[in-house]
Amino acid sequence: MRLSFRIVLMVSLLFPQNGLEISEMIQNRKAPKDISNTISMTLINSKGKKRTNKMISKSKDRNKKQIMWFLEPKGDKGIAFLKIEIQDKDDQMKMWLPAFKKVRRISSKKKGDSFMGSDLSYEDLSNRDVKNNNFKKLFDEIIDDKGYYVLETKPKKELNSFYSKHISWVDKENMTILKEESYDKKGELKKKKFFKYDYINSYFIATSITVEDIQKGHITKVVMSDVSVDNDLPESLFHERSLRRFPAY
Amino acid sequence: MTKSKSYYSSNSINNWFINQSIDHPIRTIIFSVICTLIISSGMQFLSIDDDMMKMLPKNLNSKIIWESLQDEFGSTEVIFVAYGRENHKILNSKSLSDLWLFSERLDKLETVESINCISKSTKVNNVDGFIEINDLQNKQNVNKNDVKEIQSYLNKNPKIKKQLLSLKEDYLITVIQPRDSFSLDNFRDQVVSAAKPLFKNYEVYLGGTAYVTGSLPQLIREDVRILILSGLCIMISILLINLRSLRGVFMVLMLITFSLIAMLGSMGWLYKITNSDRYLFAMISTSMPIILLTIANSDGVHVVTKFFREMRSENNLKLALSKSMDALLMPIFLTTLTTIAAFLTMSASPLEPLIGYGICLSIGIFWAWFLSTLMLPSVIRLQKWNFKSHAISKASYFEKLANQISHLFVNSPIKSLLFGLAFIVIGLTGIHKVGIDVNVANFFKKGSDIRDSMDFMDDQMTGTMDLRIRVEGDMKDPKVLDEIEKIQDYLIQEKRILLTYSISDVIKQLHRTFMDDNLKYETIPQEKDKVNNLIMMHSMSSDHETLSSVVNYDYKVGLITALSRVMTTEEIFSFVEKLNIYVKKFIKEKIKIDITGFIIVIRDMAIMIIKSSLLSIFLSLFLVGTISTLFFKNIAWGILSIVPLGTAIILNFGLMGHFDAKLNHITAILSSIIIGVGVDFAIHYISQFRRLSKKKGNVNQKVINEVGYPILLDAGSNMGFGALIFSAFIPVQYIGGLMIFAMISTSLGTLIILSSLVEVFKNKLTN
Repeated sequence: MRLSFRIVLMVSLLFPQNGLEISEMIQNRKAPKDISNTISMTLINSKGKKRTNKMISKSKDRNKKQIMWFLEPKGDKGIAFLKIEIQDKDDQMKMWLPAFKKVRRISSKKKGDSFMGSDLSYEDLSNRDVKNNNFKKLFDEIIDDKGYYVLETKPKKELNSFYSKHISWVDKENMTILKEESYDKKGELKKKKFFKYDYINSYFIATSITVEDIQKGHITKVVMSDVSVDNDLPESLFHERSLRRFPAY
Repeated sequence: MTKSKSYYSSNSINNWFINQSIDHPIRTIIFSVICTLIISSGMQFLSIDDDMMKMLPKNLNSKIIWESLQDEFGSTEVIFVAYGRENHKILNSKSLSDLWLFSERLDKLETVESINCISKSTKVNNVDGFIEINDLQNKQNVNKNDVKEIQSYLNKNPKIKKQLLSLKEDYLITVIQPRDSFSLDNFRDQVVSAAKPLFKNYEVYLGGTAYVTGSLPQLIREDVRILILSGLCIMISILLINLRSLRGVFMVLMLITFSLIAMLGSMGWLYKITNSDRYLFAMISTSMPIILLTIANSDGVHVVTKFFREMRSENNLKLALSKSMDALLMPIFLTTLTTIAAFLTMSASPLEPLIGYGICLSIGIFWAWFLSTLMLPSVIRLQKWNFKSHAISKASYFEKLANQISHLFVNSPIKSLLFGLAFIVIGLTGIHKVGIDVNVANFFKKGSDIRDSMDFMDDQMTGTMDLRIRVEGDMKDPKVLDEIEKIQDYLIQEKRILLTYSISDVIKQLHRTFMDDNLKYETIPQEKDKVNNLIMMHSMSSDHETLSSVVNYDYKVGLITALSRVMTTEEIFSFVEKLNIYVKKFIKEKIKIDITGFIIVIRDMAIMIIKSSLLSIFLSLFLVGTISTLFFKNIAWGILSIVPLGTAIILNFGLMGHFDAKLNHITAILSSIIIGVGVDFAIHYISQFRRLSKKKGNVNQKVINEVGYPILLDAGSNMGFGALIFSAFIPVQYIGGLMIFAMISTSLGTLIILSSLVEVFKNKLTN
C-alpha cells in the first residue's frame, strides 16, 4: 500500500493535473449501471433529537433515475418516491401516498430545498457538470498516508446556486471524494460532508454519508446496506406504476 | 460636657467617632475617599440587563414552560415591522422588491434567527394535479402576474395572509425572530437600522415584545436621567434657599454622590464576584438611586441643619460640631440599621432582581451612614465658618414653619390626631381600589411612538401580545389535532384575539392542496396514516425547519400561538382562568396542555409583585418595631416608631387607588421609599424626644423645633423628584406623583400623628 501510494504521489508530482481534469476524472469514474440497497437516514437536530427513515432504493444511470419505498417509521410504510432527472429541466418527482391511494407529482423549484428534510439539498444530490462550474486544484494533501487533490468548485452565476464554492478532498487513487466543505453565498462554511466507500464488484460505492449543517447544528447520517450492483434493473421499474408495488426485501 | 481635645461625649463610641472628625479630619477624609473609590471602582463591572424573564425565579412554572418552548421552538419574542401607506394597496412590484431587499439585509444580521414575510414564505399549490412547493415570491423583481399570483394565494389562505399583510392590505408585515444568544436591545437596534433607511418613503411601524422590551431600557434611562437631573436641580434649590450656604449644600451633595457611586460600585463588584442575575442593573433598579438619594439627603440634612443651629447658640465650631454629632450619631445609626433591615427583607422576595436591589441599597445606606458620621463632620471641621452669616444666625423658612407647626400641634394634640386620622381614613377607603397592571404596553402614553405603533398593530394587524399553548401528545394523531383545533376555536371567540395558528392549520392546508385544492377538504383527515402521508409529502421537498414554529422535532409537542390586542393585566387574569376551565371541561383527549406566553409571564409577575410588596411591608414594619423596641427598651416606642410608616403606606396605597395609579413592578418600589424615609423621620423624632425629655419645658414642642426643620427640609427637597411626573412613561409619572405624596405622608405622619400620640401619652412614655 505504501509503495503504491509513493508511486501515485510521484506520478501526481510529475504530472500535476488541473481542476477541470480532476473533475472530469471524477465524472468518468467507473460506476455500476444500477444499484439496489437499503437506506437508513438518521436526522439529528441541534438538541440531539433523532428521526430515522428506512427505505428500499433502486437507482440507475448514476442516480439519475431513482425509486424508493419507505419501510420505517411504521406510519410511513408504503409511501413511495420516484425521481427522474432530465437534462436542463426540473426533476420529475412523483409520490405514492397509500393512505390516499393516490400518486401525486411534487415539485421543488428551489435547488437549495432540503431533500426529505435532510441536510442534503437537491443541489447537493445533482452532478456538478463541467458546463456550469469552474474547477481549480488548490493543493495536494496527505491524510493518513493517502494522497488527495484538494479541489475547489465554484458554481457559475447562471446555475443560481445556493453555494459560493465547495472544497473537496479527492482520493488520487480512485477519484472518490473523502470529504467536502460547502460555503454559502456569504462565503461562510455551511456544510461539511464525509463519505465512506465499499469496494463492491470492482466499484467504489458510497455506503455512508454524513452531512453536518454547521450553521444550524443539524446532522444527517445516511447508511446504505444490502448493496447489490448491476442487477439489470428494467427501465419499466422507474415508472409511476412501480410506486404502488412494494418490493420484497 | 467636658471640652477636652479627646473627650466630646459621655458615650465612648460617640466619643471615638467625634474624635475622628474633630481631631483627625484630614486622615478621616482621605480614608473615606479612598474606600469610596475602591468600592465605586466596581461600577466598571455593572451590567445592564432588562430581560424580564431574568426577574423571575427559576422554579416558576410559567418560566419553566416558557424556557422549554424557547428551547423547542426558538425565541417567541419577535419584532413586527409593517410598512406601507394608509389606504393604498401595498401588493405591487416596487414594495415587494423593497421587501426582498429588506429580507436580504435581515439575513445578514447576526442577531436574526428567522424571518417571516412574503419574500421568505413558501407556498404549497396544486397546479394541474401537481403538488408544487415553491417560494411565494421567487425573485426580487416581480411582474404584475407574479403579484396577482401572490395575491390569489394569500386570498386562498386567509390565516397566512393575516400574518403577512395588514387587514386593509395597505401594509406589508415582516416578523423577525432573534437568536437566543443576543440581547434584545442589540437585536432591536440591528433591525431598526436595517429597516429605517430602506423604508424612507413609507409609513413604518415597529412593534412586538422584542421591540418594546429592547427599546424600553434605553428610553426609560434617557427619560429618567433628564428628569432626575431636573429633580436634583429642584432639590439643590430648596436646600440652598433654606440652608443659605453653598458649602452646606455642597456637603450634602457630596455625601449623596459618594453614597450613590459606592452603591453602584458594590452592585458591579457583586455581579463580578457572583455572576448572579440578582446583581444585574435591571429596569426596576432605576429607582435605586432615587431611594438612596432621599436617604443620604436625610442624613446630610440632619447633620448640616443641626450643626447650623448649634453654631447659632454656641459660637464655637468644635463645640457645635461635637454637640451636633453627639445628638445625631445614635439616631443616624438607628435609622441606618432599621432601614437596612427593612431593605434586606427584599431578600425574601421571589423576584430575583429585588434580592440584589435590597442588598445593594443596604450597602449604599450603610455607606451614607459611614460618610455622614465620619467624613461629613470632618469636612465641616476643616471649613472656616462665618458666625454672622444668615445661614447660621437666622432661622430659615422651613425652620420657622416647623416652629409654627410645633405650636399648633402641641396646643391641640387631639385635633391634630383627628386631622391625621382623617387622612388615614381617606387612605383606607382607596386601598381596595388599587389595580395591578404590569403590562409593558400600558407603560407608554397614548401618542408616544411605541404606543402608536402598538395601537396600529392592534387595529390593522394581528396584535402584538401573544399567548402560547404547549400541547404534549402525538401530533400526527387526528384526535389530538382535533383537540388543538377546538382550543383554537375557543381562543378566537375572545374578541381581543385576532389570529391563532398551529400544526392543525398546516395539516388542513396540506389536505386541501392534496385533494385538488378542494375547499371541502380543508379539514383534518380522520385517519392517522393520512396525516402521516401529508407530513411526509411536505417534508419531501421542504426544510426540516419549515414546521418548527408549530411542532417540535419528533412530533411529540405542538405549539398553538394566539396573537391578541393589548390586554390589561386584569383581562389577562380572567382570560387565562376561563381558558383553563375550558380545557379542563372540554378537552377529553389524553394530552398535556400548558399555557404560557408573555401574557402568562406577566400574570405571574403580578402575583409575585403583590406577594413581594406585602411581605416586604410587613417584615419591615416588624423589624423596625423590634429594633426600636430593643434600642429604646420600651415596646411603646417600638410601636410608635412604625406609626408614621404604617400611616404613610396606607395613605399612599389609598391614594393610588383613588387616582387609579396602577401597581406594577416599578410603582411597588414606592413602599420601599416610604419605609426608607419614614423610618428615618420617626427614629429622629423619638431619639430627640427621649434626649430632650430629661430637660424642663414642653418637650414635644422642643422636639418638633429640633427635628421638624430637617424633616421638612428633607421632605421638601426630596419632593424635587416630583419632576418625574413629566416622564413619558406612565409608571415613572406615578413614581413622581407618589414621591410627593410619600414625602408629605411620611413627614406629616411623624409631625402630626406621631407627635400627637406622643403628646397624648407623654406622661406614660416619660415615666
